[in-house]
Amino acid sequence: MKPRVAFFDFSSCEGCQLQIANLEEEILDLIEIVDVVSFREVMKEHSDEYDIAIIEGSIMRPMDEKRLRKIRRNAKILVALGACATIGGINKIRNQWSAEEVKKEVYGDADIKDNEFFDAFQTKALNEVVPVDYYIHGCPINRDEFKQVITALALGKKPEIPNYPVCVECKKNENVCLFELGKFCLGPITRAGCNAICPTNGSPCDGCRGILKKPQIECVMDILEKYDLTYEEMKSRCTLYNTSSFNPKDGMTFVRRKSNE
Amino acid sequence: MTKSDSKVVKIITKKDLISFVDSLIKDNTHEIVGVKAKGERFVFGPLENARELRLDYDFTILPPKKYFLPQYENLMGFNLKKPFDVKENEEKESRIIIGVHPYDIIALDQTDKLYLDSQKDDFYKKRRENTIIIGVDVQKVSERSFAASMKTNITESGFDLMLTNLEGKYAITIGSEKGKQLLAKYAKTAAATELDIKKIKAVRKHIASQYTKKVKIDKKEWPSVLVANYDHPIWDKKSDECLECSSCTMVCPTCFCYDVKEEVSLNLKDGKRVRTWDGCLLQDFTKIGSGEVFRGDIKERYRHRFFRKGNYLPERYGFIACVGCGRCGTACLPDIADPCDVINELSHFERSDDTSRFFIKEKTEIKDKGIIHIPRVATLKRKEKLTSMEMLFEIELDDNKPLNHKPGQFVEVSIFGIGEAPISVSSAPSKSPSFEIVVRKVGNVTLKLFEMSVGDKLGIRGPFGNGFNVKNLEKKHILFTSGGLGIAPMRSLINHVLDKDNRKKFKDITILYGSKCPDDILFMDEIEEWKKVDDVQCELTVDQCAEGECWTGCTGLITTLFPRIRLDKYDSKNTIAVVIGPPVMYKFVIQCLLTLGIPEENIFVSLERRMKCGVGKCGHCQINGVYVCKEGPVFNYSQIKNLPEAFE
Repeated sequence: MKPRVAFFDFSSCEGCQLQIANLEEEILDLIEIVDVVSFREVMKEHSDEYDIAIIEGSIMRPMDEKRLRKIRRNAKILVALGACATIGGINKIRNQWSAEEVKKEVYGDADIKDNEFFDAFQTKALNEVVPVDYYIHGCPINRDEFKQVITALALGKKPEIPNYPVCVECKKNENVCLFELGKFCLGPITRAGCNAICPTNGSPCDGCRGILKKPQIECVMDILEKYDLTYEEMKSRCTLYNTSSFNPKDGMTFVRRKSNE
Repeated sequence: MTKSDSKVVKIITKKDLISFVDSLIKDNTHEIVGVKAKGERFVFGPLENARELRLDYDFTILPPKKYFLPQYENLMGFNLKKPFDVKENEEKESRIIIGVHPYDIIALDQTDKLYLDSQKDDFYKKRRENTIIIGVDVQKVSERSFAASMKTNITESGFDLMLTNLEGKYAITIGSEKGKQLLAKYAKTAAATELDIKKIKAVRKHIASQYTKKVKIDKKEWPSVLVANYDHPIWDKKSDECLECSSCTMVCPTCFCYDVKEEVSLNLKDGKRVRTWDGCLLQDFTKIGSGEVFRGDIKERYRHRFFRKGNYLPERYGFIACVGCGRCGTACLPDIADPCDVINELSHFERSDDTSRFFIKEKTEIKDKGIIHIPRVATLKRKEKLTSMEMLFEIELDDNKPLNHKPGQFVEVSIFGIGEAPISVSSAPSKSPSFEIVVRKVGNVTLKLFEMSVGDKLGIRGPFGNGFNVKNLEKKHILFTSGGLGIAPMRSLINHVLDKDNRKKFKDITILYGSKCPDDILFMDEIEEWKKVDDVQCELTVDQCAEGECWTGCTGLITTLFPRIRLDKYDSKNTIAVVIGPPVMYKFVIQCLLTLGIPEENIFVSLERRMKCGVGKCGHCQINGVYVCKEGPVFNYSQIKNLPEAFE
């Protein structure tokens, strides 16, 4: 029997599901190998009977948590789709401030009390609420990687997600290193799998697939100096997708070098 | 006819060189590749016209290795519905590469030694044969290059043609018949004069003097410096800054480790097996099916790269696997990857004469096992559930020829669409085309094996590795110690020794076997049979026994069985001990064996690592200088006890 797949979304732009909708003719292959029982972006039908739940978006409110827990109970396999779901992504920029500060900034004096739709807490990635089986990283996701994950699941195989940095793919593409062009790129510490699409097209990596390794701050400062880059540029790059990995509240905590004393 | 070091040299004007390249492009019989600008840097890429060619380059981002071992290479295609419709990748196109620097030519020569040894890499070989190399003497020295120190700034061989810029014209040294013909067919050249030959030498001498980056010691000394300083604080200090990005290995012309992956189309109809570059600095480089990682610390991985370049490959193949191109130093952001810097820092410290310290004495040559990475077709004959986690599979080779394995050897089991995994053979050697393996459900391949049905097809490569030399065990007492799944490969040897035709050749046998719990014991029926054979003592233990479980045997770790060995019968000097089990077990068991007075050289172990290719190419299974797939998995303890990475 074909595995039954349902798509869900929380706080997100739904662009990652759009990537799947954009498979166009290939979507026919997709529905050959899995039974799509719910996919709000492309169909009206919905069913709560599914094996694999593929979820886009971040968790922002108690009502989101409740809904996510229900999905987790229904699904045999839960897959996080895209940066908002896998690492919190852009939605986590606001975690630099408290939920109260953010609400005050956005809604001002409007009366949002006792309204569960506005009962926002600090942004969470899916795995901060329920166990996640597999991750499809990226903002947006890489369609080829989505295909690999879904074929692996259809074959009853654990999908393999790269556990190495973007530099590996960037070097294979023989790009001129963006540091040499005076740009701060997060490629050396970001999980690969995107085939280094941004650096290959001249844009430095923003770390949308999550940070693999926190380098030593001393080492980073040396690199910045070597390439004439500023601390401010690095900070802004890091907070776009990886606020929680870098916590700029305390001025960017990288790992401190082991002290010999 | 004027010759330089017995090679014919011609002269071509710059204008005629351009027409030569243009006519090669126009002729369209080869793909013409040359050095082109990419921003401020240079790359090898297809030439559309000769004016794109930049022979004045300093270095290219990637070496020409990408044309022989591509970043992504399709090893074979297959059909999932008919899993054994294997189509070997056929790449017929021939290519001319223009502008290869001498150090890159020497790097290719080194790659040949690895890839064209007794188990040649057919895919590499084909590309090597179909490629014509037009080299060029360095005109602009890269500031990071130290090729002159490595004596790789010039080369007398390895090219079909070699260009040298002589101000206004080029000298062309002919290196092969192919090169000669190419020139005769497409280029307008003149004979070189004595003066031209002198000029070539002068140009090369001048360029050699332009290298400002120098290694303080001769390259012959690299191994002795590295070996003496295996525990030097430099490894800790430098690796502390490492970003673990493996850029250094990606851009290296002499890094040739690879990974093999499975790709399946979205309709689940077709798939392919893809080979792609891997890097030993990456965390998962040594990860095995059960999730265990060897060389887990970045310090160990960082050090490994330098030892592979300066000790492991030199000791095995006779060359220092660094050609001084300087690419790694350029690519490394924290600038810790440059071998020149590391060797210079170490050059003030001790030397060691024992450069073979991280090797074993016995060298095993691999016999050619057919086209590399292409499996033989086999059929699943029988499945037998042993425990909740382990199952026995009987596999028959479809060509009806026996596997011809020795006890202790392994095979690569492949399921198309899923992948490949190394698994020990568990049955005794026989003349039949079928053999048995015991599999624990841990990774993708093993999970799928459990789901397969009798009659299903799978692929087998091998047998690989160095098995037990059964002759060495004759006329000896044998003490088998196995823990957990270690009994699977051990069974192959035990059943061979206990076979009624062979039993008389060996003296008393002791079998010690430890499992986690009574339910985990494998081959209980067979063990009962073993016990019945004359002069066989068989002792079992379990780590723990849950209440209510029926177990009357010993409880405790494997070492608790040692006091039970009937020592009165033992002549420890005449005893061979065989140990196979999980990595943690070895240290303790070996201590017990030594206490019993069994000499180190009488102890044999079998070690587990990530064997991806099985034929000493992919680099994943290395323990210091030793390849587990080649010299192992069975090792004599006395030979590997000093390998720091053997019993981590």
